[in-house]
Amino acid sequence: MGSSALMSIGMKTMVASYSLLQTTGHNIANANVEGYSRQRVELATAQGQFTGAGFFGKGVDVTTVARLHDALIAREAVAANSTARMDETRLNQLKLLETVFRHGEQGIGHAAGQMLNAMVDLASRPADAASRQVVLARAAELANRFVHAAKEFDTLQRGVSHELQSSVAEINQLAANIADTNARITAVAGLGQPPNDLLDERDRLIGRLSALIQVTTIAAEDGSMSVFAAGGQYLVLATRAEELRAVPDQTDPARTGIAIVEGGTERQLDDRLITGGSVAGLLRFQNHDLREAGALIGRLAAAVAGAVNRQQQLGVNLYQPFNTVPAEPFFRVGDPRAVPAQSNQRDPNGLFVSSVALTINDPAALQASEYRFRRDPGGVPGLFELTRLSDGLVRTVVSGDQVDGFTIDVGVPEPALTDSFRLQPVSGAAAGMRLLLDDVRDIAAASALVATAVPAATGTVGVDALRMLSPPPFPADRIRITFTTDTGDYTWERIDAGTNNVLDSGNGVWQAGGPIPAPPVDLNGFELTLLGVPRTGDLIRIDPADANNFSQNNGNALALAELRDAAIVGGTTVTEAYAGAIANVGVRVQGAKSTAQISGAMAEQAERARSAVSGVNLDEEAARLIQYQQSYQAAAKVLQVAQTVFDLLLETAGR
Amino acid sequence: MRIATALGYQAAITNLQTRQEQLSEAQERLSSGKRVARASDDPSAAARAERALATVTRSEAGQRALEASRTAMQLTDTALGDAGELLQQAREHVVAAGNASYSDAERRTLAAALRGLRTQLLAVANRSDGAGNHLFGGQGSTSAPFVDAPGGVQYVGTTGTMRAATDIELPVSIDGQVVWLQAPNPSGPPISVFDVLDRTIADLETAGRTSAQIDTGVRASLGELDAAAGNLLAWRARTGESLHRADSLEDRLADVKLEAQHERSRAEDLDMVQAISEFQSRQTGYDAALKTYSMVQRMSLFDYLRS
Repeated sequence: MGSSALMSIGMKTMVASYSLLQTTGHNIANANVEGYSRQRVELATAQGQFTGAGFFGKGVDVTTVARLHDALIAREAVAANSTARMDETRLNQLKLLETVFRHGEQGIGHAAGQMLNAMVDLASRPADAASRQVVLARAAELANRFVHAAKEFDTLQRGVSHELQSSVAEINQLAANIADTNARITAVAGLGQPPNDLLDERDRLIGRLSALIQVTTIAAEDGSMSVFAAGGQYLVLATRAEELRAVPDQTDPARTGIAIVEGGTERQLDDRLITGGSVAGLLRFQNHDLREAGALIGRLAAAVAGAVNRQQQLGVNLYQPFNTVPAEPFFRVGDPRAVPAQSNQRDPNGLFVSSVALTINDPAALQASEYRFRRDPGGVPGLFELTRLSDGLVRTVVSGDQVDGFTIDVGVPEPALTDSFRLQPVSGAAAGMRLLLDDVRDIAAASALVATAVPAATGTVGVDALRMLSPPPFPADRIRITFTTDTGDYTWERIDAGTNNVLDSGNGVWQAGGPIPAPPVDLNGFELTLLGVPRTGDLIRIDPADANNFSQNNGNALALAELRDAAIVGGTTVTEAYAGAIANVGVRVQGAKSTAQISGAMAEQAERARSAVSGVNLDEEAARLIQYQQSYQAAAKVLQVAQTVFDLLLETAGR
Repeated sequence: MRIATALGYQAAITNLQTRQEQLSEAQERLSSGKRVARASDDPSAAARAERALATVTRSEAGQRALEASRTAMQLTDTALGDAGELLQQAREHVVAAGNASYSDAERRTLAAALRGLRTQLLAVANRSDGAGNHLFGGQGSTSAPFVDAPGGVQYVGTTGTMRAATDIELPVSIDGQVVWLQAPNPSGPPISVFDVLDRTIADLETAGRTSAQIDTGVRASLGELDAAAGNLLAWRARTGESLHRADSLEDRLADVKLEAQHERSRAEDLDMVQAISEFQSRQTGYDAALKTYSMVQRMSLFDYLRS
């Protein structure tokens, strides 16, 4: 045992200290690199040499440079971030959507209310061109607001599609990079030491990928890592990356879906299986929030236009001669749509074989929803399954059935068992809304019939309102209603206006507060409500409006103004329906906000946990720097001593 | 637990941004005066404000309709008052015509005076509101509703009452036929004001009648004129009643509107005191975050290794 042993220990210590210093320097250098995992030099005591006097230590060996990394904690952080990105993306989109539902004076509800309020002024001055002009201007403003809202929805949809396209491009790039990194890692796997910085690089890529679309990973023996998305779909298999594409959605080509390319063909991924990342947030917003908001506004447009049109067409416009030019509807709205799935059967020319047509029958009964329509799963011909997407209600229907205010007509031939349709009775209504009237004379303020109360000497009966429920079947005839008791019994006669002959007659009973005639009896398309209590001998005349004086008749303007209180939108008033829509969207944004806050906090917590293991603390590195510097200095001292000892030996031997 | 230096900085920066954002939101609320700028700030309050706004605009529309009715009814009231005075003058002339010492010529003079009154009465019956609406046009009259036709004055408007679009019944024009041409007559067919005058004038212009004939004629005319005047008075009472209804509706609409405005304000407006205190507390929070950042982040072991 010579002095060379001490020299050797000194050398080993120097090497070890230097590598410690080098790694500390590397840590300091990478302290601000995202996803960098702190590295540490693993030292081991060199095995001692046996002599007669026992085992003598031979210094220290550097075994490896280890990466301080906890796979479980890292995976948690990646997954939590993926969820947070999804929630954040959806929230940001919802905040944009919320601005479409303006409240107060800028809102659609206010515009609808103001249009009906203009009918009040029209009723006070039915012949006044200025009152009529105000009605037209308010109606045009309402149509504009609906169209504007629909345009904003379109802009949001285009934004989502665009963002999905760029996300998919980024996903493909990342997947390719991961496959490439896998190749480099497996290439150095044979060296027996972990390629720390490459592993960090791959983790970083997977983290960025997860922020776009949630993935799961499986590590292989050779050091490569396979990546799966959307419920087990390969994105990266060892060194091969698959390609995703943003494609028109199968069920509705106006939307965007994500497809995977398999052997040259695209297969759309089920968006319910994409559970994290900004892509999931975009898809969720597009397929639920945006769709439901569009249906809410569309339903409002279809219902308001339907109710106003119906009442307008029961009235008489200002064109001469009286009641000869039919009243045009106020508004046109976008047509209901039945969108065939892209996978439905096609003929050799590529056209769809089966078809479905929708017709709106009862605008007041329309629901703010889309529907899925397909053959009854039992396969019974002629039976269909209709699913309302807003609440999942499933109904079995046949062609010609009227559901939620619209009729479904199935074309020939019958759809195949695999065919399906997306029914959108209201979604396009707002976009296509237009004011059809352009002349003040078009407004039907007059009623085709007028009612006059002729009380008996002691009677006090008056006419509260005459409402037209349908066009009068006998527009030229007169109706006489005569009360025969003090308890509401009456007789009625229909009289020919020219000859005064009685053409038809009958009797009925008036209930306090109730209409005349009591439903379902129809005397001439009208419904009459009374003021006061009718007494024996009281007479009510319902005559065709005076052809010379109809410009001053306000019967239909009163009925149009009454729409303010009528349940014309799915069982509620316009004001109520719009207030409900605002609250619906507000609650949605509020919910998304708190979800995003929670998942954001969880992601932050998970990242904190990850960085507690893998992150670099500069104070710690500074302390280590001093420690290793001292160690290096001590090693140098050992060498110096060894050299001195050796010199001394040479000197002694040389004497 | 190890704090990674980079994450520490990042967390501090995020924290500063959040506080700055909160401060800016509080400032935005203060300067706009609105607590609910977006529906998500308070969905149910936004819906309440929306309903309240609809009530406000609706009350305003109601007030306009009411005003239209009031204007029409005030004009109608004046017209009926004028008509009452004209009929009173006519009555005095008819009473004078009963004077047994009057000659045929003197009665013709009275007839001429009555003719003048009749013309004035017809003008009153055809009065419009100055905007083209006839006060006695009933449910519609494009031209003057009373026409001086052979055989007497006829009504060419539509009978019945035209009402304004208000919650309670308020007319904007009344039925001229029942006011002027169909005064109730317990002892015969309904009385037309103009027919009575026409007949009286014809009587007075007929020469050589006996004093008994004159007496009977004058008595009949007086009775019918009184019935017609009574009818006008009854309708005047009804317009007065309608004006009264308009007044009470106006009060109610004003109350409803005020309450709705308060409701809207309560729903979406800012409580200034609370908002200012919130702004100050957020300002303090931001200030504290800035201070701790500058103090804590300056500390590093490297500072002590400079030698």
